[in-house]
Amino acid sequence: MQKALGLITANYGIATPSVLVENRPVASLPFLGRFRLVDFPLSNMVNAGIRTVGLIMPPNYRSLIDHVGSGKDWDLDRKEGGLFVMPGSPFGTSRQGGRFLVRDLVLNRQLFERNSEDYVVLSTCNIIFNADVKSLLEKHVSSGADLTLVTRKMAEANPSVLGLTIEDGKVVGKKFGVDFGDTGFLDLAIINRELLLKLVDTFSAMEDKDLICALVETGEVRHLNVQCVNFDGYYAAIFDTDHYYRASMDQLNPKVLAELSPKERFIKTKAHDNAPAKYEPGSHVTNSLVAAGDRIYGSVTDSVLSRDVIVETGATVRNSIVMQGVVIRAGALVTNAIIDRGNVIAPGTELRGTNDDILVLGKVSE
Amino acid sequence: MSKKECVAMLLAGGQGSRLKALTNKVAKPAVSFGGKYRIIDFVLSNCANSGITTVGVLTQYRPYLLHSYLGTGEAWDLDERGAGVAILPPYATQKGGAWYAGTADAITQNIGYLEEQDPEYTLILSGDQLYRMNYGEMLAVHKKNNADLTVAVMPVDWSEASRFGIMNCDDEGRIVEFEEKPAQPKSNLASMGIYIFNTDLLVRTLEADAQDASSEHDFGKNIIPTLLAAGKRLYTYQFKDYWRDVGTVASFHEANMELLGEQPAFDLYSTEAPIMSNASTRPPAYVGHYADVDDALIANGCTILGHVKHSVVSIDAYVGERATVIDSVLFPGARVEDGATVVNVVLGTNAVVKEGATLGDPKEETIAIGDDDVIEKEAE
Repeated sequence: MQKALGLITANYGIATPSVLVENRPVASLPFLGRFRLVDFPLSNMVNAGIRTVGLIMPPNYRSLIDHVGSGKDWDLDRKEGGLFVMPGSPFGTSRQGGRFLVRDLVLNRQLFERNSEDYVVLSTCNIIFNADVKSLLEKHVSSGADLTLVTRKMAEANPSVLGLTIEDGKVVGKKFGVDFGDTGFLDLAIINRELLLKLVDTFSAMEDKDLICALVETGEVRHLNVQCVNFDGYYAAIFDTDHYYRASMDQLNPKVLAELSPKERFIKTKAHDNAPAKYEPGSHVTNSLVAAGDRIYGSVTDSVLSRDVIVETGATVRNSIVMQGVVIRAGALVTNAIIDRGNVIAPGTELRGTNDDILVLGKVSE
Repeated sequence: MSKKECVAMLLAGGQGSRLKALTNKVAKPAVSFGGKYRIIDFVLSNCANSGITTVGVLTQYRPYLLHSYLGTGEAWDLDERGAGVAILPPYATQKGGAWYAGTADAITQNIGYLEEQDPEYTLILSGDQLYRMNYGEMLAVHKKNNADLTVAVMPVDWSEASRFGIMNCDDEGRIVEFEEKPAQPKSNLASMGIYIFNTDLLVRTLEADAQDASSEHDFGKNIIPTLLAAGKRLYTYQFKDYWRDVGTVASFHEANMELLGEQPAFDLYSTEAPIMSNASTRPPAYVGHYADVDDALIANGCTILGHVKHSVVSIDAYVGERATVIDSVLFPGARVEDGATVVNVVLGTNAVVKEGATLGDPKEETIAIGDDDVIEKEAE
């Protein structure tokens, strides 16, 4: 068992924010009717036996703290270790420029000082995948690496993923934005704790930089043994509405969902007391994910329904994502849309997006 | 800490032998119900929703799963310091040890726990009934009547009354006579096995009963008649809502079916007094391209590829392609594989009906399949 602690940053800005993250940090963006994005890095860590996790909070943390609480649902409500909710630096969340900002590491240096684990696992919240962090840690140790970066030959372009230029196995360059076939960094890294403490001091004068970017820009990376490990399973980099929509729809393939939350490393999330979903007489549901607490009288096709959604008689939901507590009144039609929390769609209303232009109805404050 | 007003003693040691295969491996209170619950969730939720935060749970038959499910009681917010759930199995002392020999004996053996909690009132509950009740209202009635014992009763069909313990009362609701399973019932108010005692009287009565070699140490058969004969103030608390004691496979199946339809007899979706559970967190259910679901409860983690009609499907259950599930209850992790058919069946936890197999008949009695059992297709 390799001893590691985790650090999840949830306070960085992204280039193309959508209406979905106007009123919530990306970390608490609901996903798949049941989860929030922060569940993925949290679960990846605790599924690897990590028992100490720092979570750097964004300024608008209400929904995030409501979700993670004491860390109980991830078994992180420990006397020894557990979940540490940590402050993020007050500036810079509105601008893009990195996920592991040096100033946040400086600000929370205590986490690395006061714990004695040999390794630190760094992660963010925008890229969802089920990583076998235990194996990655073993590989990190056996390879003698100072820093392990989990990367991916990109299957599609993405302006927000950090691209890495690699020559002779060495990282020599970086830029935000990747094209098909580029090597992208999946925002999951393992670093030796002592080294991290040293780097935090070295780079403290360039605190507005991302740690990985600073390493590459200063050339410091050449003095380190950096291992890039390609992750070849399912991943989704969620940086805009379209990514979010596609990633949700991907889960309608049971194989994808089984890979994202396999039995042996399933994604943990906050427990709720919802009754099972109720499919009323005469309802019609196909190729959809339906969460607990839903009551379906109408028709639901090719869609993802979050908890406590009501689809009334004669209402139709197609190719859509419907979030918690939404009510689709009788006869309403919702296609190619994302309906955020708290909306009530009036009877007979038609909300039509298209496959290329997903209609988004923002969160209604409760 | 100030003296506690009321603690609950929850009798959860019963086997529930008439549930047949469903209690092969677990105690009746731990049997799955309603897609994501276990039977005991209802009573524990009632306690939590009534503000009763100290609950002693008396266990005996196959307690492992029940104990691990209860844990610290946190799933029901019953993990408070100085209160919360206490698991009370039979134990040995310097004088030896004994199994719980009756409902009253189970409490007698835990008088030490009651004295430590030192409540003014003690609420006796069964861990195997399905209902939603605010015990606070029952306690208020108990206090208003200045009663020594209050028994919750509900009206039953006159034709059924001879199957129950029947309370004959005066106009004030004071019990004047108690008849266990009377051939000629004079009243249709049946005891629900829910009692509020003044704790001092309860302890004294139990201690005396323990000395009586002829007693069966049962609340209905011994304790209530003793108190009635002694002229104590016994009152009823009338309950009129949904209440089921799912004693048999048939009544268990029926109670599950009562959660279905447009106006179900029991509302699982009430936010006022939610039914809480210690279920695992799973992704939403996947309903496939060719699935056909009509009038069903389907919990998280399920995969439904075939036809489900008028059924309750629990967490992580699987219904394969061209499979048919009608009038049935699938327990967590149960699998009805491709092309298989189950009708009028309760399929136990992780039980499997193999590809193409057929099980159950709508005209016959409901079949109960035990946990982990595998039903193969019959050879042609």
